[in-house]
Amino acid sequence: MAASAADVRSALSIPDATLAAGPSQQKKPAATPAARKPEGISRELYSLIGPSAPSIAAQLAKPRLKQKPNLTGGGKVKWEERPFKNAARKDGLELRHWVKASTDPAAEYPFAKYNVPPVSYTYSQDEFTRFLEDKEWTKEETDYLFNVVQEYDTRWYIIHDRYSYPEGTPRTLEDLKDRYYSVCRKLVRNRPWAGDEASRGQLISTFQFDKERELTRKKYLLSLENRTPEQIAEEEALYIEIKRLEQNERKFKRDREDLLRTIAGIDSGLPDIVEDDGGPLGITVDTKKLRKKGSIMDMDSPATPSALSISTPLIKRPPTAKNTAYDAQHCIIRTDLSANAPATKAAHQAAYIRSFKLPVPKAAIAPKIAQAFSELGLSHSRLVMPTRENCAQFEALLEATTALVETKRVVDKVEYDIQVLKGQLGMRTSQPAEGEDGGEGEDAGGGDSKTNGDSMEVDDAPENEDERAQSVVSTRSGRSRKHVSSCDV
Amino acid sequence: MVNYGGDEVSALVVDIGSSSLRAGYAGDDTPKAIIPTSYGYLPAPPDADISMLDVTEGKDPVNTPKFAKIYIGQNGPSIWREGMEIGNPVIDGLIQDFNPIPPLIEHALKEVMRCTPSEHPTLVTEPTWNTTANRERMAEIMFEEFNVPAFYIANTGVLNAFASGKGSALVIDVGQSMASVTPVVDGFVLRKGLVYTALPKLVHAHARHTLASPTQSRRAIELLPHQLISNKMPIEPGQSPRYTLREDRMQGTTESWRNWAEAREVDEWIQSVAGVLDQGWNDQYAASRPAKQYEFPTGYNTYFGADRFHVGEQFFWHSPQLASNPSLPKNIPALITESLRACDPELRQVLMGNVVLTGGGSLFSGFTDRLSTELSRTFPHVRCTKIHAPGNPVERRYGGWLGGSILASLGTFHQLWISKEEWQEHGKAIIGQRCK
Ligand SMILES: Nc1ncnc2c1ncn2[C@@H]1O[C@H](COP(=O)(O)OP(=O)(O)OP(=O)(O)O)[C@@H](O)[C@H]1O
Ligand SMILES: [Mg+2]
Repeated sequence: MAASAADVRSALSIPDATLAAGPSQQKKPAATPAARKPEGISRELYSLIGPSAPSIAAQLAKPRLKQKPNLTGGGKVKWEERPFKNAARKDGLELRHWVKASTDPAAEYPFAKYNVPPVSYTYSQDEFTRFLEDKEWTKEETDYLFNVVQEYDTRWYIIHDRYSYPEGTPRTLEDLKDRYYSVCRKLVRNRPWAGDEASRGQLISTFQFDKERELTRKKYLLSLENRTPEQIAEEEALYIEIKRLEQNERKFKRDREDLLRTIAGIDSGLPDIVEDDGGPLGITVDTKKLRKKGSIMDMDSPATPSALSISTPLIKRPPTAKNTAYDAQHCIIRTDLSANAPATKAAHQAAYIRSFKLPVPKAAIAPKIAQAFSELGLSHSRLVMPTRENCAQFEALLEATTALVETKRVVDKVEYDIQVLKGQLGMRTSQPAEGEDGGEGEDAGGGDSKTNGDSMEVDDAPENEDERAQSVVSTRSGRSRKHVSSCDV
Repeated sequence: MVNYGGDEVSALVVDIGSSSLRAGYAGDDTPKAIIPTSYGYLPAPPDADISMLDVTEGKDPVNTPKFAKIYIGQNGPSIWREGMEIGNPVIDGLIQDFNPIPPLIEHALKEVMRCTPSEHPTLVTEPTWNTTANRERMAEIMFEEFNVPAFYIANTGVLNAFASGKGSALVIDVGQSMASVTPVVDGFVLRKGLVYTALPKLVHAHARHTLASPTQSRRAIELLPHQLISNKMPIEPGQSPRYTLREDRMQGTTESWRNWAEAREVDEWIQSVAGVLDQGWNDQYAASRPAKQYEFPTGYNTYFGADRFHVGEQFFWHSPQLASNPSLPKNIPALITESLRACDPELRQVLMGNVVLTGGGSLFSGFTDRLSTELSRTFPHVRCTKIHAPGNPVERRYGGWLGGSILASLGTFHQLWISKEEWQEHGKAIIGQRCK
């Protein structure tokens, strides 16, 4: 308690009673001005060091903190209860609600904009007699139908539920839809149309309704309901089996990816395993669709919804025009996984850097190729810019060079053989054989033109090409050139 | 505020059921006032002066009810009064007697909620099978007697669907007097698919019969309410009760009050003891479930074993000899089958995927589980049937009110109110046009 009393005293800057017992009265007036605690120095510290160290205080000035963020945006928000009118109402009903006082009292009621009246079709008597006659439907009943459709905003199930035309024949939901949409189609088709034909066709297509198809679809649906418990059990079993398989597949895929990541250390660009496609699994597609049916059913859509039993299975990733444009714009090149390759371990190819896969010349002829490349002023092992095109050209060049070097080797060998044989021949008979040589030399021009056709775009000039070929194959004749070019083509 | 579409205009929501009248502010999650629909009254002597009524004073003498004094609310029927009769304006879910309706609503709004109805737009609920005359009368009462600025009458089926956040649903409502199955699509009831029966009454009658008739192990149970008992002795389970009747009251107790009080005893027993087996009836299984002890106001107490499950079983299964009676209310699976058969085959999947269970009667322990068992048994081709059944008893019992509370606080709803101006201009016809 004594300690806390001392605390209180110090907190209130009252001098200690025990010390100040005697001299307090005379000390007080003197102490008050001096005891002013400088800013930025804590009370505890000040009571220790006293007013004797003013130089420190300057450095201890309170750090400037950032201002507290004003989260509420201007502190208190004033709300007030105001009457408002709703533009969506035809009468002048005034209700009251609470709004921020800052909102504009003259502003339109924010929810009025959701009052969107449905577009409705009306027709004149004349139009009716000209195109809308139908022996099944009187004008009165058609009018009634249009009224109900309008009233319930083309919610067909409700229209059908509430439809009760006095002394009319009972109508099925399909009858109603068929009549309504056929009338709409005829009206659009026969009325003058302001826009172009395409938009008219588009509008008509939104009124498409295929009654027969709908009826068949309903029949299928009903037959689904009439499956026997055994059939359902079997289906269920199959479904579970497929789920199990899929799960295995997924697990397998995951494991493999993990493995690849550990081994290769890079993300493997594993193609998605096709899970619910293909012949034997076709059944899942059906059941899945059946399941989803409830949730995706688009009740208002006038167009015939794709029937679950009739619909064709989805084609995977159809290459649309939009895709292609997008790819081109973003320099995306899609490598086609060979369509029939199974998604197995063996067929899988991991992602790689293109320049890693540049071909390497055979060890035996590598020096020659290196020489040929250096004659061209190129490096045979490195591409500065290994784009797809460059790689392809580099590969082609390398191939051509290889072929050239190979051919030269063969030619050299053959020529050597010829010389040897000639020498042998000359030894036996002293008759020379010059005629053949001249004949072949004439073909040299043809060989050149073919070489030009080669698609080495590194350097297009044909004469250069010619020189290079010559230099590689050293001095030898048109005959050898001819061989080279025919290899290239 | 526009984000979630709410805009509260301090509307009131009034939901009248056979057991209770619920009233509260739109936007709240529970009704502020819950009062019994049953009311006590002292019948007016045949030649009595109408001015004796305090609640209907100054009102149109044509509507003057035939009672001299009316007792409403928590201290209404449940307090014993000499010669007090009990009435209930709601029969089979419909309001059959409009005389006590204004006093009931007035009590809920003015006495319990302490608000001024003339300042609040008011939404009232109606069962799907309500008649045009009834809803027009309701509008008349609200406009003419309560002077509300705007009025709307909404269907409990739709509201229950809204309360569970669905636009399309198959709403199974088990109340005090009626069990109904209502298909709701896009916020509209499919009237052709609506089916309803007085099944809860059958269950109640069965329970009452069970209690009132002796078995091998116990005697018949007197269903005396505590109001008629002056004292009782604690006794061992199964022993005959020792209690003293309030003889002074027996004379002045009316038949209707006695009936009401006994029905309440039965209800209380049902609520604390009765249940339903979740897998269908099975003698062994029923016997293996723990028995529950229950003490009646007389002090008599005993354990109820299989008996308590027989009661709930009535909702789902009728014995053949009982079923041969053509006037027997249909059980729940039959109701659902009938309702679905009337719906488009395409809708059945949607509806079965959105089953909403609501109403106090569905609070029977084990009801939800049993329902899902029955559904998968009756409709094996429907895969995942999801039953939306709020676990919170208030939400379950007052789903209709809750839906009304949600609806009446939506910004887009405010264009649907029937304003007083419109009522005066168009008269009753506007009700049918606006509240579809
Ligand atoms: N825990 C419970 N177990 C069984 N039944 C219960 C339980 N709680 C309430 N109930 C029953 O629910 C019924 C009241 O339900 P609810 O409030 O939905 O009826 P209501 O809407 O007033 O009547 P209705 O819909 O028939 O006009 C009463 O009969 C009551 O016995
Ligand atoms: Mg109810």
